[in-house]
Amino acid sequence: MNRRELFQKAFGAGAAVVAASVLRGQSASFNGPAGGSRGSTLVTIVTGPFDTSSYPNGVRALTDTPQFATYVRIQAHPGQQGKIAIGNSAMASATGNVADSAFLELWPNWDGTLDNGRSDTWILSDPEWNNTINLADIYVWPEIAGETPVITAFQLA
Amino acid sequence: MTILSPSAAAGPLTVSGAPVPIAASSTLVNKLSVKPRLGQWSKVLIGGPNLGADESNAMAVLYPVPNGGQADAFVVQDEGGQNTIDLSQIYVYATIPGDTPMVEAFEYKTI
Repeated sequence: MNRRELFQKAFGAGAAVVAASVLRGQSASFNGPAGGSRGSTLVTIVTGPFDTSSYPNGVRALTDTPQFATYVRIQAHPGQQGKIAIGNSAMASATGNVADSAFLELWPNWDGTLDNGRSDTWILSDPEWNNTINLADIYVWPEIAGETPVITAFQLA
Repeated sequence: MTILSPSAAAGPLTVSGAPVPIAASSTLVNKLSVKPRLGQWSKVLIGGPNLGADESNAMAVLYPVPNGGQADAFVVQDEGGQNTIDLSQIYVYATIPGDTPMVEAFEYKTI
């Protein structure tokens, strides 16, 4: 084992922590690790019922500041009655039916009687588990104001 | 840095009586999905340039979802993490002219 290998073995864990903190500090234009990075611990960065009601037209990006995830899941909230539209920034400035600017719609699951109670769900993940999905680029619009799709996003930090 | 970003070619795709390509010119993406639009009554066919309205050469035939439930979908993604799916080579046909199947596409971009 040469000196370099010995150093890596002895200080590998510490070096990983240093690398992660460098990533976090490298830009003020986004939160967390840079796009395309891949850490070693899966952490949840968005979770729970997602309220868009205080945003113009009820259209809200998953995060206000860019943040890069490796996995995103959006689920129609069981018991709620409106469709959920998912799209890009074009949805934020849409007029008329916002869903006409979406790339996907989720059907509601108001009483669990369809599809054995499963809720319609959209999942996007990076195939190599890199943090490449900018949550600020993904917008959500509940057809019925005040409804709250269930959203989860993971990042490898 | 590299990010996986929504493609400009994504959104409702109007099909007006004949199979149409998702993009008019070569557009490479990493992930593509096509779903019938919820509430519409078309059966949706997916195929290549030789897709026929009679389902000949169809890669997938998707049933409509007029009254709720999860929509059928055609999904393909390059698991190697590259933009290899050319949207101009993927054609979509809806059996009711004017219907708008939903196209979702994501591409790797360097910003």
